[in-house]
Amino acid sequence: MDIINNLVKDIGDGIAAAIIGLLGQGLAADIVIMAIAAIAVFAVASGGFAALTYAERKIVARIQDRVGPNQAGPFGVLQPIADAVKLFTKEDTTPASADFWVYQLAPIIVAVFATLTFTVVPFAPGVVGTNLNIGAFYIIAIGSASTIAILMAGWGSNNKYSLLGAFRTVAQLVGYEVPMLLNIIPVIMLTGSMSLVDIIERQTGVNGGWGVPFIVIMPLSALAFLISGIAETGRSPFDLLEAESEIVAGFHVEYSGMKFGLIMMGEYMNALGVAVMFSVLFLGGYGGPILPPYLWLVLKTFGVFLVLMWLRGTLPRVRIDQLLNMNWKFFVPLSVINLIMIMILGKVFVSDPALFKANGGILIQPFAQVIIFGASSLALLILALAVVTRRVRKDRLAEAEVLQQRREANQQIAAAMH
Amino acid sequence: MTVAQIVFILLSVVGLGAALLVVTTRNLFHAALYLIASFFAVSGFYILLEAGFFAAAQFLVYIGAISILFIFATMLTRTVRGMVPRNSQWQAALFVSVILFVAMLLIFSPANFSLPFGQGRTFGGAEWQFAEVPNKPGVLRDVPASSINDFGRALVDLNQYGIALLLSGLLLLIGMVGAIWVARERKPREILAERARMAAEEAEERAKAAAKAPEVSVAHAAVAHDAHHH
Amino acid sequence: MSYAPDDIRRKAKDGLAFIILPLKAMRTDYAFIGVTLIVACALIGVVPILNYLIAPQTPNKAKRETYECGMETVGDTWVQFRAQYYLFALIFVLFDVGGVLLFPFAVAYNSVNLWGVIVVSLFALTLLAALGYAIKKGALNWE
Repeated sequence: MDIINNLVKDIGDGIAAAIIGLLGQGLAADIVIMAIAAIAVFAVASGGFAALTYAERKIVARIQDRVGPNQAGPFGVLQPIADAVKLFTKEDTTPASADFWVYQLAPIIVAVFATLTFTVVPFAPGVVGTNLNIGAFYIIAIGSASTIAILMAGWGSNNKYSLLGAFRTVAQLVGYEVPMLLNIIPVIMLTGSMSLVDIIERQTGVNGGWGVPFIVIMPLSALAFLISGIAETGRSPFDLLEAESEIVAGFHVEYSGMKFGLIMMGEYMNALGVAVMFSVLFLGGYGGPILPPYLWLVLKTFGVFLVLMWLRGTLPRVRIDQLLNMNWKFFVPLSVINLIMIMILGKVFVSDPALFKANGGILIQPFAQVIIFGASSLALLILALAVVTRRVRKDRLAEAEVLQQRREANQQIAAAMH
Repeated sequence: MTVAQIVFILLSVVGLGAALLVVTTRNLFHAALYLIASFFAVSGFYILLEAGFFAAAQFLVYIGAISILFIFATMLTRTVRGMVPRNSQWQAALFVSVILFVAMLLIFSPANFSLPFGQGRTFGGAEWQFAEVPNKPGVLRDVPASSINDFGRALVDLNQYGIALLLSGLLLLIGMVGAIWVARERKPREILAERARMAAEEAEERAKAAAKAPEVSVAHAAVAHDAHHH
Repeated sequence: MSYAPDDIRRKAKDGLAFIILPLKAMRTDYAFIGVTLIVACALIGVVPILNYLIAPQTPNKAKRETYECGMETVGDTWVQFRAQYYLFALIFVLFDVGGVLLFPFAVAYNSVNLWGVIVVSLFALTLLAALGYAIKKGALNWE
């Protein structure tokens, strides 16, 4: 088992030793090692993307009671390759009045920023591209910087619908970043560090951690983060602006061939990034009892992505105004109140004797603290849902009553006319 | 030439070049994109200074939020694509920029100098604050690993930056209130009155420009007069 | 189980790229990100070029026109830009800055006492008040 656990580390050691033997212990060797590691990260991300497009089409097809791709290779396994070949051989038309450099650079920027999130994700203990001490914050920052690329794509196409679609997409993306931000903060509060490796260690019990994944401690944050992440990457049911059945396909209408392929790749990698982030932040990353760490991470990520695909195949689309209303009137206030609640609870009910001596509060067992956090999160969720459903029901009943009155008035008029 | 120096020079070229292009390019959207490139360069500088948190914060706030705000604001001014922004005061602006640049150079330079006039006051000689770093006088100390922790603690301590935090929250609130007031729904009469006022201002400026060149207009009047007669 | 004290020490030798590198300064972490940026740009930048080389190139006037559901475009491209978009971006800036200020507090959470928490709660409530005002005035209503 240790062999598999340390497989990548040993291979990395071997390659690094070979290169240092070749180039000496200087700058050139460092850069070459980093370049090879970068290519490895990029390969992992792209491989994941390719596998996921196939898995998604198959699984969504089964949910919709059909088979999915089964022509290219046995069980359609070579479908991603077929898609890639098709996109490569499509003609590369550029609109005549497009702004050339802006138009050409936008898909590249979308795809590049999507792959940069994988540089800080830990795949196993000791196997991580780079263990930044601001890992979680860095991922959020990179995600937010990619909204500019969408504006570039929309504007560079010199197309009214493209521009309008880009504005609305940016409004959606930008809106759902706020709950994502606000729901990572409780995780960081209970960890004491923004580094992803530290967050995983806190959840797997190494170095004095909880031993409990954060989804048990704060289910509300996890749920809000997941839903915001789905909306952030523009997946169904939040994909009104780029749905395949819309006539004008949003901001990427003027892109054909592999540039469109790059935009799609960026989108899928964003979705994969959200799934990986959720697994790392809330499910415990590579931690787990028997299987090797890589397998745990893959299983957890795929599980989260399964939920994403399930939602895609099942739910109808949400309108853009419902989407934005839900964000600003429900998710953001809920996230802020959740944050304040966890902050105050964490200071009132402490489980560490040293902190108790320093700051006071009520000293309880760590196990009890987990239960208090989890129960209060769930209570807040139920309360919020109750408030919202009651208000929505009141609105709906009022609307129904207005319609009923109008119908009666129409009937009276019709009766009076005869 | 260490790697850090090379990276610094590259970042400076990119940053300054992008900043220059922001003010000289003709296309407003391109200007916004060059501004984003200069934000990238500033983020790189933060990384060189080992302030990783601030580099990412620069990304998140400036590139992720404020650039979008800029682009939306330029779209709000009814800019038809290709409209060229004119700045008739660019000589004065250049002059003021050069003066400010020289002033900053003098204030932040490590050398002492004194002006020949006045009371011979001394400028410059800025002292960088060092902690006691053994064996390394005159060098910025390493950023400790707990710097973000210290920053966070200082941010909520009422004796240090807690009041500033609360005030910044208040400032954000005021900014929001102001923006909502400016972007409020206006009644049709108000909109017409505003448009009439803007048209009147434009006509006034045109009249002023015409009055500045009386010979030209007299010649024009003469030509029009002749054309009218023939 | 107990909380770790203020800083959780980073392991010295984690990271695929830094198994043998002697430097452990913060900058080398970001150097990897810089290298990844360059490598990704190169690898991804090759793709449209390859597309241009492989695919057939037969541009004609109809293909290079702007797409408008099959009709010809009339007039210049400009869009009725509603001020609503600007207000959405502005409220996002508010919460973005708020989040950036909350992250260091979250890292230092274990070392602050209840007063610090109250200060930050007031800050968060101020942001919420800004959002509430915007909603009340109907600025976030359309679309």
